[in-house]
Amino acid sequence: MRIDYNIKDKIDFFIVIPVVLLTLIGLISIYSSTYNNPLTQNNFEKQLYFVIVSFFLFLIIHFIPTNTFKIISIPSYVFAIILLLLVLVIGKKVSGAKSWLGLGVFGFQPSEFAKIATILMLSNFLSRTNNNIDSIKDIVSALTIGFIPVALILLEPDMGSSIIFFFFILIILFWKGLSVLWLIVVISPGVVALSAIFGTTVFILSLILLLIILFLLNKDLFFNGSVFALNLALGFFTDYIYNILSPHQQARINSFLDPSSDPLGTGYNSIQAMVAVGSGGLFGKGFMSGNQTQLQYIPEQWTDFIFCAISEEFGFIGSITVIILFMILLGRILRNAANNRDEFLSLTQIGIFAVLFIHFLINVGMVIGLIPIIGVPLPFVSYGGSSLMVNVIMISIASNIYRTRKNQA
Amino acid sequence: MSKISLNRKAILFGVLFSVSVIFLIRLFQIQIINQKTYDEISSGNSVKAIEQIPFRGVFYDRNLNLLVDNIPAYTLQITPADYDTSLNKILDAVLDFKEGTIANILLRNRIYSKYVPIRIKRGIDFKVVSWLEENSNYLPGVDYIVEMQRGYPFGVMGSHVFGYSKEISPKQYQLEKDYYRPGDYVGHNGIEKAYEVDLRGQKGFKYVLVDSKRKEIGRYKDGLVDRESIKGKDLVLSIDGYAQRTAEEEMKGKKGAIVAIEPATGEILALVSSPEYDLNQFSYVTTKEFLDQINNDPNNPLFNRATMSLKPPGSTFKILAALAALDMGVINENTVYHCGGGFTFGRFFKCHDSHGSLNVVHAIEKSCNTFFYNLIYKIGLNNLKRYALEYGFSKKTGIDIGEEAAGLITDESYYEKIYGKNWPRSIMASLGIGQGEISVTPLQLAYYTAITANNGVSYKPHVVKGYLDNKTGGIKNLEFPITKTSVKKEVFKFVKEGMFLVVNGNGTATHIRSNEFKIAGKTGTAQNPHGKDHALFIGFAPFENPKIAIAVVVENAGFGGTHAAPIAKKVIESYLTKGKSDLNKNEMFTQLNSTGEVIAD
Repeated sequence: MRIDYNIKDKIDFFIVIPVVLLTLIGLISIYSSTYNNPLTQNNFEKQLYFVIVSFFLFLIIHFIPTNTFKIISIPSYVFAIILLLLVLVIGKKVSGAKSWLGLGVFGFQPSEFAKIATILMLSNFLSRTNNNIDSIKDIVSALTIGFIPVALILLEPDMGSSIIFFFFILIILFWKGLSVLWLIVVISPGVVALSAIFGTTVFILSLILLLIILFLLNKDLFFNGSVFALNLALGFFTDYIYNILSPHQQARINSFLDPSSDPLGTGYNSIQAMVAVGSGGLFGKGFMSGNQTQLQYIPEQWTDFIFCAISEEFGFIGSITVIILFMILLGRILRNAANNRDEFLSLTQIGIFAVLFIHFLINVGMVIGLIPIIGVPLPFVSYGGSSLMVNVIMISIASNIYRTRKNQA
Repeated sequence: MSKISLNRKAILFGVLFSVSVIFLIRLFQIQIINQKTYDEISSGNSVKAIEQIPFRGVFYDRNLNLLVDNIPAYTLQITPADYDTSLNKILDAVLDFKEGTIANILLRNRIYSKYVPIRIKRGIDFKVVSWLEENSNYLPGVDYIVEMQRGYPFGVMGSHVFGYSKEISPKQYQLEKDYYRPGDYVGHNGIEKAYEVDLRGQKGFKYVLVDSKRKEIGRYKDGLVDRESIKGKDLVLSIDGYAQRTAEEEMKGKKGAIVAIEPATGEILALVSSPEYDLNQFSYVTTKEFLDQINNDPNNPLFNRATMSLKPPGSTFKILAALAALDMGVINENTVYHCGGGFTFGRFFKCHDSHGSLNVVHAIEKSCNTFFYNLIYKIGLNNLKRYALEYGFSKKTGIDIGEEAAGLITDESYYEKIYGKNWPRSIMASLGIGQGEISVTPLQLAYYTAITANNGVSYKPHVVKGYLDNKTGGIKNLEFPITKTSVKKEVFKFVKEGMFLVVNGNGTATHIRSNEFKIAGKTGTAQNPHGKDHALFIGFAPFENPKIAIAVVVENAGFGGTHAAPIAKKVIESYLTKGKSDLNKNEMFTQLNSTGEVIAD
């Protein structure tokens, strides 16, 4: 058999090149945004260190046998659940959420690791030969696999990560072929629970809407009734929980739902972020010259608000470069997933696509004022070791699957 | 994969593509279309303009004596962002405030940025300042600044001339947002208000870079774009400090007004409305007690009687009637009327004496009513009004400060409106002697005297001569419009002769005769249906070359010759001797003695 030595067959440049460029842009922006802040002057060096570690991580994962992923899916999922339980007990509190586990000098977030484990576990379960996505039993099992980590993360409480989990689980199920009716059934509790916080009228309206949709899609009275009852119960439960919360916690929820209710808190960040982006103009104010960035108008902007620094200092050109790089990267993973005939690998790639896409959507969306502020980093660009490493692991998995695509099923 | 998954692939591609396109459109909107807006906010964020309030212009009198200047005062201020409201109680006590005052002030100012200091109290005691210094560690967000407030070193009150400044009202702030900031002081009345733009100068700005906590981190563009503040103009008033001080002294305990004008120029030498009020009370924080007291005073000290109070001119008006009649030619200097103690027109109008036959000069000297009863029917109301308008009555004089009243001189159409064509002509008689439906302000009387003294020519009355030119050190004079009456020059001789005799002949004010300078004048007594008559006197001096024209009105005092004329004499004396008479005699004596010179008095 002739071996094709063409390097393009071994490495997917449409994945690797965008990731390398995004990481470089990230390093430059971290350097610029932390230069004037005495508390974060080491962040650039730390990130550089993680980039180097990530590079070796990539090489290893890229070349291991592809079937490893399926083999480790169950143990890693169990391990992730243990870590998520552990963090609730001995976790370190960072900005209100008990989400960090100390590991010697390094801390890391189990929820980051749980992303990969959940993707693999869910893909494994859904790709079993006897799996039937139209059967209630299998749907409930899949949802259980997905929502155990979500429930644990909500207890930390880390709203941002929970939202990411919720959506990527949904996208994986969607890819598997979950029917529209079931999609609605999965989404509805979240919507109804949220509406309960907004007041009785909104709550009742959402329940009526749910009822109409259910009867349009399905004639089974018992099924519809159960879904409705479940939603109703959840709504009351949410209301009950909300009312027993301390005013301080209620304020946090309100600020989350409506940033303008707290202009000096989240709302302030939102406004200053827009100002930073807008004032960048076409070409930007130049490296190290953005006054919003250099004068620390946006708190923690080397992490969740890194996109501001890019937009302010490199302008429209800089920001569309980032958007286009993400488009290429995400489009490529999506295409590879669609072309892959092995269902486990296809679902895994969709899971990776989904995690990265939701991060990108929420992060950039909140910076440019399209969605409320939710603390979510921009993959490869934001400062943060565990986030970078988990993202690189996911990319390595996608790259590994690409490498061996011709041998698969 | 099955057909349905192909569909799903398209959907996910669609979502990815749409999200990216929406992001690009949004970025284009923010970064390209609205770039300017955000850029302005961004610059405003990091560059802070610190206002440099310049010194307010001071006032000199016509002899360049300093009347109003600036003296430093301590102001306590609070920066809400750093302040701990649990300190309210202590500070209320230290500042002698009622409990809750500071909380109230903070509440009122919460619409402004938390990082902008709020002035809590001006003119705080030095004891409070040292207390602040000692305890500054326990008083976050509380500090004091040195600000300028008005001082009055010459010992003149000048309350209605100078006026005072106060914190800008929200209404005025809305109108002049481009210059003022909340908390700025602006002239509220008097010269302080009329010349506000000259006095305030031009604010300067120092631009500094600040970080997100508004902490200063350096100069903006090395201070190249900073703007120096420009000091307000120092005004030179036409006021004579000595005359003003004497006038104020003389009016103490009386109600009324004095206005003195230099006839040739229209410059106001003294302007007093009594009772006065203490401008010092307004120079920093005005206490509520003081405001209550001044507002509830039945004598209404805030009311500027010199320009606002309206009284009948009484016999002082006879000068105008004489001028009109002579100018019209209805009489000449030899025309004689007989006074047998009164005049009959429909009913009997009495004179205060039987003067026998007299011409216009002696009619003025004796203030003979009968003569002027006759005269008014020769002149006619419309003609009298025409002359009155020329002399500044029945309209505002246009003085450069504050509010003034126009007054009223009636004409025929006025009575036609009330009584119809056949209005009772007997009304005219009392108008001829300045009584009845006729009202003038003290300022108008002084102005009319000035025009008469200067033979029909003067300038619009004003209290500010000009301002000191900082470059040359000279005085830049302001220009004021000239007033010229149509009255023939030769007419004035007879009228002024009459006024001379009032003081120096056998007239109604012979007791103010002076050897040093010849005073000419006319007494008046305005009938007051509500109480005692008002005493009036108009006059000028020296007779040959008038330097000062004056009007004195003392309310509810009685006869003008007795109560108003002596005051006028004092003020004239004080002005013509540059304060070396009466009040300052002792002062000068000791001064000269110390230099060993001998005083000949």
